[in-house]
Amino acid sequence: MTKRIVIDPVTRIEGHAKITVYLNDQNEVSDARFHVAEFRGFEKFCEGRPYTEMAGITSRVCGICPVSHLIASVKAGDAIMAVDIPPAAEKLRRLMNLGQIVQSHALSFFHLSSPDLLLGFDSPPEKRHIFGVAGVDPKLARSGIRLRQFGQEIIEALGGQKIHPAWTTPGGVRGPLDEDECKRLRGWIDEAMSTTQAAITLFKSLVGKYQEEVNSFGTFKSLFMGLVADDGTWENYGGRLRFVDQDRKIVADKIDPADYQEYIGEVVEPYSYLKSPYYKPLGYPDGIYRVGPLARLKLCEQMGTPLADKELAEFRNLGEELTTSSFYYHYARLVEVIACIERVAQLVDDPDIRSPDFRAYAGVNRLEGVGCSEAPRGTLFHHYHVDRDGIIQKVDLLIATGQNNLAMNRTVAQIAKHFIRNGKATDGILNRLEAGVRAYDPCLSCSTHAVGMMPLIVDLVDPSGNVVRQWKRDG
Amino acid sequence: MAAKPKLAVYKFASCDGCQLSLLDAEDELLAVADVVEIAYFLEARTAVQEGPYDVGLVEGSITTKHDVERIKEVRKQCRFLVTIGACATAGGIQALRNWRDVNDFISHVYAHPEYINTLKTSTPVAEHVFVDFELRGCPINKKQLVELVAALVHGRKPRVPTYSVCVECKRRDTVCVAVARGIACLGPVTQAGCGAICPSYYRECFGCYGPKENANSMSLGQHYLAAGKPSMQLVRLLRNFNGHAADFATASTALETANK
Repeated sequence: MTKRIVIDPVTRIEGHAKITVYLNDQNEVSDARFHVAEFRGFEKFCEGRPYTEMAGITSRVCGICPVSHLIASVKAGDAIMAVDIPPAAEKLRRLMNLGQIVQSHALSFFHLSSPDLLLGFDSPPEKRHIFGVAGVDPKLARSGIRLRQFGQEIIEALGGQKIHPAWTTPGGVRGPLDEDECKRLRGWIDEAMSTTQAAITLFKSLVGKYQEEVNSFGTFKSLFMGLVADDGTWENYGGRLRFVDQDRKIVADKIDPADYQEYIGEVVEPYSYLKSPYYKPLGYPDGIYRVGPLARLKLCEQMGTPLADKELAEFRNLGEELTTSSFYYHYARLVEVIACIERVAQLVDDPDIRSPDFRAYAGVNRLEGVGCSEAPRGTLFHHYHVDRDGIIQKVDLLIATGQNNLAMNRTVAQIAKHFIRNGKATDGILNRLEAGVRAYDPCLSCSTHAVGMMPLIVDLVDPSGNVVRQWKRDG
Repeated sequence: MAAKPKLAVYKFASCDGCQLSLLDAEDELLAVADVVEIAYFLEARTAVQEGPYDVGLVEGSITTKHDVERIKEVRKQCRFLVTIGACATAGGIQALRNWRDVNDFISHVYAHPEYINTLKTSTPVAEHVFVDFELRGCPINKKQLVELVAALVHGRKPRVPTYSVCVECKRRDTVCVAVARGIACLGPVTQAGCGAICPSYYRECFGCYGPKENANSMSLGQHYLAAGKPSMQLVRLLRNFNGHAADFATASTALETANK
């Protein structure tokens, strides 16, 4: 009989989740699982709504990355209308997606993960939060909050509000960006860049302290998937799909996102609402792949902007083996923020974003459409079937966090096996388990599109059936 | 209220957007942390201080048996209980399941529906416990959130408008989309707070802030019907993030019945 250690819910990640650690008779860790336990049912209640409403509805899947859903949704809408959207529309959508990546990555690094990195995994829990960081390094906390604000204000400048902006639409967007807003954003670029550079310096100075974590937070062979431009440049809005292995060898390339189902299969494990996607040609579970910042850095040839490329070169110098550790998601996130800021700086100077031609109009010209974009956490797919009137018949959402599900499971198992001895887990070790999941910056509201709790057992039971311990922090 | 009131933030079924509005109050965030003790906020911190709390902010709707029990505990822990956002206040977008068979939902999405233990409905917090104040919106407006916290610190009623979105359109000089463009818009029956964003992009208000005081959505629905709008379009318009709110629900049910 096995016993279980359960952490419920995982704090400082978005949504509800639990971790279960299984101990064998020798009190050693036999396995560990990461569960998600929320169900809201978006795929079903969207049926019967017009495809034009889908952006507004699906953005409510997640308050952390609503823009990612808006963009994948309207791209699916473009496909249903069978239109090429005007250049201004694409640039404006790109600008909003860049703002989204900046704000989400800033939230992940400064608000959620910097407490662990700066204060240590064993620091007292009552200090391990952004306000604790503010106590130790007020400048870092303040600048991190301001960096997230920069990203959020790009979104607000375009969409009128920071969360769930009702601005993108199939065929384009609903308005250009005026010069006053461009000016305000331009004035913020230098500060945002210096904050990000400082964060990278901080990460590099701290990573040496955490070699044990680097070596146990998800160091395993896997594929990496994401969008990349046809010339190999880092992408987040357009491009085609590429899979590479842990040595950056290309496994599959130039895949039209609309054909994703030919390459990605999904299995449902009983212990989680999350489906487990895998790369079909390798089968399950060998087809494990990771998405998100680390994957995007692995599979691109260049970032396409000078400062980000300089940083990418340093990242590459670390060697592919080291950066297979999911601990390096944190670093990859910051490199992406640099790329985003550089691209924002280019776009606010681009006259196209003030063009009056920002929307194409058309009816239903195809009965099926796939929209794909890079959310901060990885590749996101919206797949709709509609009738002749544009009423949704069927919806499939393939979410970034879901695609990292297998990797997150393997990561918590690796951390549990490394740190837990004799069935004893200190608060610091439990925090490492959470942090291992947090490295992927999972967005669990998204991934389960969820509402409802699975009847997961939250006992810690020893081989004779006694409850040994339970860490229950009710959400 | 005490010099430094203790604040707790709870999450039920939701997208997290409303509680993140607290983090979105970037300029005010550290100031807020100075005047209130954020004692329970899982999204932003690990350690939890013991209750009771002076103020509980609740995000999300009630969708499981466990939620029903938990919200009662939350009520006991909090002197003032405030719902934040459309999910907690009206059941949220997931309340669309209230018009459907939830088992059909689950078997569609999951291979092992037997593992899923969910209620048939998604309901607002106020259907389960007494709520002291409701902060509307999908998502909430961070300025209203800061106003709420400030008001509670000073022991006064929060100043949050109860008039309609139409007032906000007039203030920002947005030409009425219903009158000038013939678009069926929920602005006249929807509470203000968003700043009337959607009409400024020439699209209809779809009721993120829920019905205003003394709204009569059925009457507005009749007006749009008479103008030739299909009744099912109006049903869908009313059934968005606040579809389960009483006035919107009554009107959408009546319009749907009339359609049959």
